[in-house]
Amino acid sequence: MIFSLILNYRKTLCSGLFFVVLVSFFFSEAIFSSHIAVLPVFEWMETTWFGVAGKTWGALFAVVQAGHLVGLGVLGGSVIASDGRLLGLFNGLPMRLVVDRCHSVFAWSLVLLVATGIFMACGVAIKIYYMPVYWYKMLALTLGVLFVFFIRKPIVDRDLDQVSPWLLRLLAISSMMIWFTVAATGRWIGFS
Amino acid sequence: MNQLIYDAAVWLDNTEWSTRIHESYYLYNWIESTHVLTLMLSLGILFLIDMRMLGWAFADISANKLATRLNVPMLLGFVVMFSTGILLVYAVPVRSAQSIWFRMKMGLLIVCAINAFMFHRKMTASIGTWDSEPRAPKALRVGALVSLVTWSVIVICGRFIAYDWFDCDYPQSDFIRGIAGCIDGQTQF
Repeated sequence: MIFSLILNYRKTLCSGLFFVVLVSFFFSEAIFSSHIAVLPVFEWMETTWFGVAGKTWGALFAVVQAGHLVGLGVLGGSVIASDGRLLGLFNGLPMRLVVDRCHSVFAWSLVLLVATGIFMACGVAIKIYYMPVYWYKMLALTLGVLFVFFIRKPIVDRDLDQVSPWLLRLLAISSMMIWFTVAATGRWIGFS
Repeated sequence: MNQLIYDAAVWLDNTEWSTRIHESYYLYNWIESTHVLTLMLSLGILFLIDMRMLGWAFADISANKLATRLNVPMLLGFVVMFSTGILLVYAVPVRSAQSIWFRMKMGLLIVCAINAFMFHRKMTASIGTWDSEPRAPKALRVGALVSLVTWSVIVICGRFIAYDWFDCDYPQSDFIRGIAGCIDGQTQF
């Protein structure tokens, strides 16, 4: 029984375990030495073409920021539409199609967010290196990606009529909370 | 006209609540964060609908149903976004009124409103004729594309407002001073 449960949910369990290890590491004393060890990477980021361009041309940086915001909007829209449907909202729209199509939009917007995010990070690499909130965002983003691809997707890929509605609701609420946290910590970087 | 806008902005700037909002670190940031994060609800969903019209996504889902069902959260998002936007302008009225980017943003918002009105009319008129087609008729596709492009430029303008390249308290060319609405001898910025 337990063995079959582990086999059926191995991706979910592995992702959960990985995240627990990551959070434990993040809040342990070992993080200090690792934090110092990655400083050269952030210093190098500022010397790359992205870093130099981001620092030199404020307008280019702002346009990329706007692209990041548009990506955030589309990602959020796909999360709201998909999770809203799982919560039982938007009646009349076929759940299977909405969830599947939203996932494609989500994946493309995530690519846009990561690409623009890397550009922006290069422009202000040393600054964000010293910001705790940047690391919180990275932690939240890691959780979000793990959650979507290794927990949520394997469950919603099943026959949705066979999955407990409560599990779908739990997934939807968790997903919305996680991505709101990613967005909110991103906004917080701007205030730090 | 610029003098009138400046006088109105100064009057707003001198009100108690305007000062309270921009002097309060947390209140201003909360309002700004809400304004930005509501993008996910308003613009995010609008873009999903636009992408459906263009046939870029949700091609096998009824366009009319998608637009109708997602309309409510989208409109809710826009209400929050406009409300927080008004509060942000109220908190910093003079600088906002004299920002080239803010002026451009307002102009584009009017374009978006007209486009949305025309889009809605065309959509209502053509219901049932193409609902299950992967792409909307040309007129609706043009409307969706205009919406996508215009809103993206609005986001860029919104982002540019934070930069002080063309602020009136810096030396600017006559052309910039004209379109920004700078007033000779103005005392408030």
